[in-house]
Amino acid sequence: MTVLTMPAQPAQDVTPRPVPWQRMIWVTWRQHRAMLISLTAVLGAVAIFLFAMGLWVHHNFSVLMACAAATPNDCGALNQSFNNTDWTTANTLLILMNLAPALIGAFTGPAVMARELETGTFRYAWTQGIGRVRWAIAKLVLLGVVIAVLTWAFSQIFEWFFAPFLQQQNTLTVLSKTVFDTRGIAFAAWCLAAFAIGAFLGMLLRRAIGAMAATLGVYLGLQLVTWLFLTKHYPVSVVTSNASLFTGGVSSSLNGLPSTAPDNSPWVLATWNVGHTSWWRYIPVSRFWPMQFIEAGWLLVLAVVLGAATVWLVRRRAA
Amino acid sequence: MTVLTTPAGSRQDAGTKPPPPVPWRQMLWVTWRQHRGLLIGVLAAFIAAVAGLLTEGLRIRHDYAALTACHPAASPACVQLSNFFGSTDWHVGNGVRAALLAAPVLLAMFAGPPVIARELENSTFRYAWTQGIGRARWTITKLTLLGSVLTITALLISQLFTWFFAPFVPYENLAVLTGAVFITRGVAYAAWTLTAFCLGAFLGALVRRTIPAMAITLGAYLALAGVAWLYLRPHYPLRTFWPMQVFEAGWLLALSAGLAAGTVWLVRRRAA
Repeated sequence: MTVLTMPAQPAQDVTPRPVPWQRMIWVTWRQHRAMLISLTAVLGAVAIFLFAMGLWVHHNFSVLMACAAATPNDCGALNQSFNNTDWTTANTLLILMNLAPALIGAFTGPAVMARELETGTFRYAWTQGIGRVRWAIAKLVLLGVVIAVLTWAFSQIFEWFFAPFLQQQNTLTVLSKTVFDTRGIAFAAWCLAAFAIGAFLGMLLRRAIGAMAATLGVYLGLQLVTWLFLTKHYPVSVVTSNASLFTGGVSSSLNGLPSTAPDNSPWVLATWNVGHTSWWRYIPVSRFWPMQFIEAGWLLVLAVVLGAATVWLVRRRAA
Repeated sequence: MTVLTTPAGSRQDAGTKPPPPVPWRQMLWVTWRQHRGLLIGVLAAFIAAVAGLLTEGLRIRHDYAALTACHPAASPACVQLSNFFGSTDWHVGNGVRAALLAAPVLLAMFAGPPVIARELENSTFRYAWTQGIGRARWTITKLTLLGSVLTITALLISQLFTWFFAPFVPYENLAVLTGAVFITRGVAYAAWTLTAFCLGAFLGALVRRTIPAMAITLGAYLALAGVAWLYLRPHYPLRTFWPMQVFEAGWLLALSAGLAAGTVWLVRRRAA
């Protein structure tokens, strides 16, 4: 097939026309309906499972709590059953929940642009009146919004399901890395960022499967960097010398030794002594929402920047 | 492009002479050319994993030796060592274990479906399947070569991980028969990796489109692992480590062979 190579935007077209959202919704749906239907079906099926499982878990937990209030010494069997069966299931689901944004991003992101390039449909799509830049923007925005909304709703159900385990597992708080990422708005923000990473890598590498593998790697790298280097710099930490914060009987169930963290927070940033007084700088568990907004905020900025870079690559490439 | 549709195994050959042997040497080169992206990726991941496991493993063994040698156990210095081992080192150990448990299915997702589905999607099957070797032997060779590479890699990594994870088994009171420990050791890990790969290849031949087959491979593997964990393993007639390992590897190997045979059957059945 022979095509003419033309500059992406004719010079006389100075004022960009608005994106025709309504028509693009239809085109986006037609091109990506298999992915959108599968994503909704998978999240819906798991949500129903979580709901059923959650009713069971909440029931078991309230029975356990009632027993602990009435006859604290006769609850061994109930406690063991909750610790073994229910917690094992919840822990497995928590691990899968932490992997989910990477997988959602890998299956949705690279398909947006790389599939269009691989199958040659870009020759048709990019030469329509809408122009390739607005075409790319419309698809990225529409799919991004759908993914963010679906995953946010999904994470709310998981949050409800997981609530009893936060009370029952001493070492877990809402600030624990694996829990924090599955709650509030962080889960949706990570999914959106993974989608943007996938879309950008798809346009950069131009091959869908290679871009999927790269998306998984980049996502895990970003998670690791966030955990090891970024979170501790969120401006939410406080300084305290109040030793009663962590002598309140909080113990690590890991080895039975006293936890070294005030408030059982996983984020103790520094400890030092002045005379006989010990001081701590740490992030209290009550700073959950400010941390959520900071994390979701920079992830959103990252997603927008990657989206812009994807559009720039689309403009740059000769059709 | 126009091609002639011919029956998979040419009829006149079947009765008269035995099928010619598989040309392993030449196929080795073809398999490498077709899948070098994957093979280079696997090699890079293997080297990175070995380097990471060795450095962290030596450090963790050093910490654990210092902890077990520390007396009296209740002294502040020992408590500090124990705290460090129980939090930082255990986080590393647990994180590596989670990555190791996820690795077979992630690897198989990228290795399995493309073997047949990409050949169909890119239409290279029209060329590949009409060569003298015949499409059935073509498929068998590619599955065997790629499957061997993945299985051997998985076997080596799981042995190294067993060494890496050894200090945590007594420290965290873990039993080697616990699901999440059991399948990282012995021969079970390699068997799960091979099964995941054959599952991916079979689903690729069945669905004929790579990306949907990848998603279905992920779902099917998770379902199989869940069923094995919840329903099969508690009912094994054996209760000791090595017999259980051999039993698990045995049925996984049989399943892998079945899936590979199913893949070859689907390839033979389809008119080129």
